[in-house]
Amino acid sequence: MSEENKIGGAALLVIWIAALAISLVAFYGLDHLIMNMQGLPLNADLTPAG
Amino acid sequence: MRSNRQQSIRRKGFSNRLGWLLSLLAVLLVFSVTPVFADMGMGGAEQRIAPIGRVHIAGQDFVPAADSATSEAEAPELIAAPRTSRKDYPNIGVSSRAVVWILAQLHLFFGALVLAVPLFVLVIELVGLMTGDERYDSMAHEFMKISLTGFSITAIFGGSLALALFLLYPDFMGYMMHVFGAQWLVYAGLFFLESFFLYTYYYGWNAMRYGNLKWVHLSLGLLLNGAGMTIMVMANSWATFMMAPSGVNEVGAVIGNIWEVMKGPLWNPINLHRFIANIGFGGAVVGAYAAYKFLSTKDMEKRAHYDWMGYTSNFIAILAFLPLPFAGYWLMAEIYAYSQQMGITAMGGILAWLFIVQAVLIGTILLAGNYYLWAGMSRTEGSKRYKPFIGFIAFVLVVCFLTWVTPHTLMLSASEIAQLGGSHHHILGPLGIMPAKNIAVNLMLIVTFLSFQLYRRSDKVATVSWAPIGNALMVAIYVVAIVNIIFLGVYFGYFTNTVYKVGSSVAQVSSTLVVIIAGIVIDSLMFKNAKTLPSHWGRIPDRAQYALFALPIAFTWLMGLMGYVRSSVKTHWHVYTVMKDNSPDNFIPTIGYAGNMITIVTVLFLLFVLFMFWVASLSGTKQAKPETVTEGGVA
Repeated sequence: MSEENKIGGAALLVIWIAALAISLVAFYGLDHLIMNMQGLPLNADLTPAG
Repeated sequence: MRSNRQQSIRRKGFSNRLGWLLSLLAVLLVFSVTPVFADMGMGGAEQRIAPIGRVHIAGQDFVPAADSATSEAEAPELIAAPRTSRKDYPNIGVSSRAVVWILAQLHLFFGALVLAVPLFVLVIELVGLMTGDERYDSMAHEFMKISLTGFSITAIFGGSLALALFLLYPDFMGYMMHVFGAQWLVYAGLFFLESFFLYTYYYGWNAMRYGNLKWVHLSLGLLLNGAGMTIMVMANSWATFMMAPSGVNEVGAVIGNIWEVMKGPLWNPINLHRFIANIGFGGAVVGAYAAYKFLSTKDMEKRAHYDWMGYTSNFIAILAFLPLPFAGYWLMAEIYAYSQQMGITAMGGILAWLFIVQAVLIGTILLAGNYYLWAGMSRTEGSKRYKPFIGFIAFVLVVCFLTWVTPHTLMLSASEIAQLGGSHHHILGPLGIMPAKNIAVNLMLIVTFLSFQLYRRSDKVATVSWAPIGNALMVAIYVVAIVNIIFLGVYFGYFTNTVYKVGSSVAQVSSTLVVIIAGIVIDSLMFKNAKTLPSHWGRIPDRAQYALFALPIAFTWLMGLMGYVRSSVKTHWHVYTVMKDNSPDNFIPTIGYAGNMITIVTVLFLLFVLFMFWVASLSGTKQAKPETVTEGGVA
């Protein structure tokens, strides 16, 4: 907690947005990867491509 | 001084000893598979397999194969599975199945316990050696002490089960002996080895406590576990052969070698499932011992010790429990792949209702495990930071639990169907199918891991500069994983075809595993060299101990229940599609009857466990020397 106080509000906001963005990309990629591995390809909008 | 010397010895010889340990492991593995290779031989499989069609069915004339070029005298004779009639099953006045059911289940309960305890005892002992904290060593020793009586009880029930099977199902056992052949002798030999390693491991604990001897002791523990695990996978092959026979032809004649008989399609899924479940079960049972000891003493030092022991047991039980549903999914997927009919019998017919009962029991385990962790947070002041999360976790657990126990098809009377407007409830009906259950299971596991993570963090303050980034990333992973699991379940589960619906459940499981792995990695790095807040072992409400009692009861009942499902999917076969069961009990027992049987076995097991605890306590009790009474008063 004390470390967070040393970081400014704007920087903290950037950290949280970046963390969220990274996680979204990671899980989006994970969904494509796992479904593809099973022979079930997905479109970019995650609808079934098969 | 002794500690310094030990550390020095550890530093100097650590890599050598680790290499030694790994070599022993390699020897153990070779030893485990040697009978298999010995039996296979070089090209042995081809030599042993006779042409299909040259089968001798007991009680019938020998029929030579029409296209066989081999003469009758040269070719080995194949023996089909016996075709039994009612008179082939001795009548002892009570249900043979009930007798075997009780003995087999008690043997399995104790077998699971005594196979699991040495596994985590070895790990705890190793942690004690690595950290130099002797408390781990003492705890590991005490865990072994508790389970020691269990080995004898397991052997007694195992022997009784074998006698009952030979007496009550002689033809079936004759066939199994014929199929597995010399493997039975290997199995018996492994018991001797396991007993040797068990007694040297337990009784040699204090004699091999330090220095090089400690590594000898750890190696004995490793060999004990190697023998135990080999026994388990061998016994599993009998159960899976009965469900999905391999290495035999359509009439049950053996056409493959022992390895082909053992490695049926369900063998590895069962091996993994039982391995994980045993650890969870073992952790739950020894947790009850810690709770019992905690509640029965007022000595604060002892309470602190048993509190720590209880926490460790709960940790083992729940940690092993987290991946268990996924192993269960794999097993069911393989059952469906082997025989869709068998899969539907399990999950679409009468037995499907048991999966609702299963949900209740798993919900009980998760609620009890989480409650114990929340109560345990009172051990440290630092936990106040995380108290607000408890309400959220409890809410998610309860909502998911209710979703999981919602049935799809209700057993209704005609008037009830008319009142409801159909056989399915128009709002709750969609919650009865697998996509909703998958969401519920994954979310319950994720929030249970969150409870663990918060508990682990409660006595620490991160000192690394990137702690805010680590926290933000961890929260983001939780949020996105939860959204992803719900999205996958709802979209693919209700709005796409079945293939995508089933496939999306794998992506859901992967999301859950990502959360768990990311949580372990981030916390390991972030709390390295963290500031530690004082923790007061023993400062936990007494009521939290009842959660530790709930765990083994729910685990035991659950194992009994799912064992009934696993065995019942064979329907009227001893060995599925190969050897028919023509005994008076050749039908799936009703749920009510099975419920009573499982309850009886669970109660019996718990009584034996109490006996085991009592014996463990007895060994540490010393009677005071009676005062000598003399004439005229006490001397």
